[in-house]
Amino acid sequence: MPFIQNTDADRAEMLKAIGVRSIEDLFADVPANLRIRMDDKGKLKLPPGKGELEVTRHIQDLLSRTKNAGDYAYFRGGGIYNHFVSTVVDHIALFDGSFITAYTPYQPECSQGTLTFIYEFQSAICALTGLEVSNASMYDGASALAEAMMMGKHLAEDRFRKEKRNAFVLAGAINPEYAQVVQTYADVAGIKVVRVPNGADGRIDKQALAKALNRKAFAVAVQSPNYLGVIEDVEAVVAAAKEPELIVIQAVGEALSLALLQSPAEAGVDICIGEGQSLGNHQFLGGPAFGFFSAKKDWLRKMPGRIVSETTDKDGKRAFSLALATREQHIRREKATSNICTNQSLCALRALIHLSAWGKEGFVELAEHTVAKTQYAMKALSAVPGVSLVYPGAPVFNEFVIQATPGLEKKLLKKKVVGGLPIDKYGKGRRGQYLVAITEVTTKQEIDRYVEALTEAMKGKPVAV
Amino acid sequence: MTTTLANPAEKLLFEVSKPGRRCLRLPALDVPKVDVKSALKGAKLRAKPAVLPEVGELDLVRHFKNLAQMNFSVDRNFYPLGSCTMKYNPKINVTLLSLPGFTKAHPHLPEADLQGHIELMCTLESWLSEVSGLPAVTLQPAAGAQGEMTGLMVIKAYFEEKGEGKTRRKVIIPDNAHGTNPATAALAGFETVTLKGKADGSVDLDLLKSLVRPDTAAMMITNPSTLGIIEPRMVEIAKILHDAGAQLYMDGANMNAIQGVVRPGDLGVDVMHFNLHKTYSVPHGSGGPGAGPIAVAKHLEPYLPYPRPMKTEKGYTLANPNPKRTIGKVRSFFGNYGALVMAYIYMSQLGREGVRRNGENATLNANYLRAKLRGVYHIQNDKACAHEVVFTDAFQHKDGGPSALDIAKRMIDYGIHPMTIYFPLPAVTGGHGAMMVEPTETESKETLDYFVEVMKKIAQECKENPDLVKAAPHTTPVSRVDEKKATTNPQLYCAMCIA
Repeated sequence: MPFIQNTDADRAEMLKAIGVRSIEDLFADVPANLRIRMDDKGKLKLPPGKGELEVTRHIQDLLSRTKNAGDYAYFRGGGIYNHFVSTVVDHIALFDGSFITAYTPYQPECSQGTLTFIYEFQSAICALTGLEVSNASMYDGASALAEAMMMGKHLAEDRFRKEKRNAFVLAGAINPEYAQVVQTYADVAGIKVVRVPNGADGRIDKQALAKALNRKAFAVAVQSPNYLGVIEDVEAVVAAAKEPELIVIQAVGEALSLALLQSPAEAGVDICIGEGQSLGNHQFLGGPAFGFFSAKKDWLRKMPGRIVSETTDKDGKRAFSLALATREQHIRREKATSNICTNQSLCALRALIHLSAWGKEGFVELAEHTVAKTQYAMKALSAVPGVSLVYPGAPVFNEFVIQATPGLEKKLLKKKVVGGLPIDKYGKGRRGQYLVAITEVTTKQEIDRYVEALTEAMKGKPVAV
Repeated sequence: MTTTLANPAEKLLFEVSKPGRRCLRLPALDVPKVDVKSALKGAKLRAKPAVLPEVGELDLVRHFKNLAQMNFSVDRNFYPLGSCTMKYNPKINVTLLSLPGFTKAHPHLPEADLQGHIELMCTLESWLSEVSGLPAVTLQPAAGAQGEMTGLMVIKAYFEEKGEGKTRRKVIIPDNAHGTNPATAALAGFETVTLKGKADGSVDLDLLKSLVRPDTAAMMITNPSTLGIIEPRMVEIAKILHDAGAQLYMDGANMNAIQGVVRPGDLGVDVMHFNLHKTYSVPHGSGGPGAGPIAVAKHLEPYLPYPRPMKTEKGYTLANPNPKRTIGKVRSFFGNYGALVMAYIYMSQLGREGVRRNGENATLNANYLRAKLRGVYHIQNDKACAHEVVFTDAFQHKDGGPSALDIAKRMIDYGIHPMTIYFPLPAVTGGHGAMMVEPTETESKETLDYFVEVMKKIAQECKENPDLVKAAPHTTPVSRVDEKKATTNPQLYCAMCIA
């Protein structure tokens, strides 16, 4: 029997030891009329079990009805990016059972492997963000932002006991997936989400921001680079939030940008969260990957999620263990600030291997190549007749928005190009706009193919306004 | 069963780092090189590069292989961690998952290119629906805790539409529930009411009746309970709640025992979540990722998160069929799709018979341990258990004898990962330290017999040489770890990482 090692003889012997006649007797507490019997085929309509060979064929058949980023010249991102993942990552994290088949490291003496890598991961995130505290990871960037919102609310409740601060400000172009998840969490928590639009330059509208940042709000979040690819002036948001004493949260959609851009600590934010997929995690239609979550050390006691600390064993030797569990749900129950009880350790491990495999210099080089390719693609695509940049002159890292005409996808697909993501649903006046993403995987040849296909697709099209 | 342990003096990656070393090289830049400062004009750049390790590939691989040896894992050790369902994870899961069709499946691919993936999601939903006996499923929640949250959000949306959102503010939770239940209820904006369980962990119906009022939104019940007992009066519990207009939420964390035996929907459950990383062999990954789909009754379907995978005449699609009624999204894109794929592969292999067989053998294995260790360790409820059995340290932890913690640590010396300890909380285990053992169906009788021998030996050691047990473990790369110090004096990163 697949995955069951008990033989019929074993089962008979075990039943005898237990003192019952059949396994059915062990389910006496389930009402007999509702119990499913093995011969009761009507009650559980599942197909018969398949062997490994058959399942492999079946999966290959399903995949034959799919295409992936590798089948195209691929230019879509929007939160998940088509990066190269080193074989080293899969060999350690996926194919070696030592980490993937372990659990949360509750027993530190036999889990030093996991605890050590989490500590190293925390250190790597601290290095990237400059902030002193990092947890051992959240589900994704979107829910990490929702958790940061909840943390901001709890911090404000502690700091401003007499003020009723109930608004959470989402400033500028936030990834719609993040905004949606934040809204869902805010709805049940009774938090009012206030949106601040972006201006004509793609950045946060400063006047609208100044108006929204008042003492009715407890925190403000800014995504940089933002959903439209534009790098925000995070420092300016921190300055604007100073007087009304708001918690400032930075969201990072493309973690690679941290290699070059002003670090969240340099900008002065309180909390930095982000999507970690870019760091050694496969795409898998968007998950699993992980959300990273870091904060100033002052806010440690309100952090959600698992945290690992260095400590010693009873002989004084360095060791690692989970720490500060009193923040968590299994101790605080209904008083906990988060219900998170596991973390995305394996995805965090992948990030650590990825960051170490590229290393201090390689990670910067990766970002520099991305910038160079993005600059090339911006120039080449905006030179196509009828196509222009929506935010010319705005600083971008790996993504940018072009204005073309709607409905170009099929024509591009014929040339094996998946062009930028149509963002007409992202707001008014975005008809014919596409969000184009570049990674180190994108080649000049692919960009040129996109340009060629777009040129042809745009022929005879009136220029959209 | 003992493991050769690695050199404990293994340094951290940051400590072996040396300028000039690296693993990966980029291809030559095929576009004109740019000056980053001028290309990103108008953006603020970081002052110094982030301090990441600089290592060669051999040292990198060796570092992690050494760490691997410092870990117990299901692949190498019996891992009877109660309430976690540490079953064997078939290798085919990860092998197929690493096909480029999955690894390079970008969420913004045209829908026509996702047909096989959406079909997989639809089929998995239908299987979970079958096993739960509930008609609608969402695969979006990323973990059990997020499944709970989603379930309560759905219930809240249902009552709001009925105009009872303001009145139904309370969620009843048994005192033996996992801590996520009350934490989730609070985050979802409910007040919690604690229901004291009976000594055997089952629900006191009279007490429940007295707590169910017009302000009750739902009860969250774990079945089988955290004491490893199947709740015998689920149907009556559901009736009490439904008669009062309230909903019954079932925490499916312990579904491994009753899958294929009974369908929660048939018992009257309105919402339940699955932990695919427990029941359907998604590897636990040192703590995650997992997946926590929920199944709901028909009247709750309109509130499920979007997008929902659907089959139409034109093919498969990801739709938002109830834009006004859906709770929204709880996770970006489509949830932990990679985890869903592994659960799908596993369930394909199980089939109808396998689902039932797993439930039966998980239950058989737990009861076998209960029978074999009866009298050696105290059992609070010595009746047929489900997938796990809860012992306590009552026989050992008296007159200064070793505690559940000491016994757990001593198990490590015999190559067995400790069971879950001190959960359920002492308040529901007669003040004794709980030792919750969940063998799972994938372990052989020989492994269970070895475990029994080890536990008997440790019980003997507790009498004859208690100090040996109290000082355990003796064979690990580090001795008993000072966890208190980790909290009172937290050191959370390598100092060199932040200048």
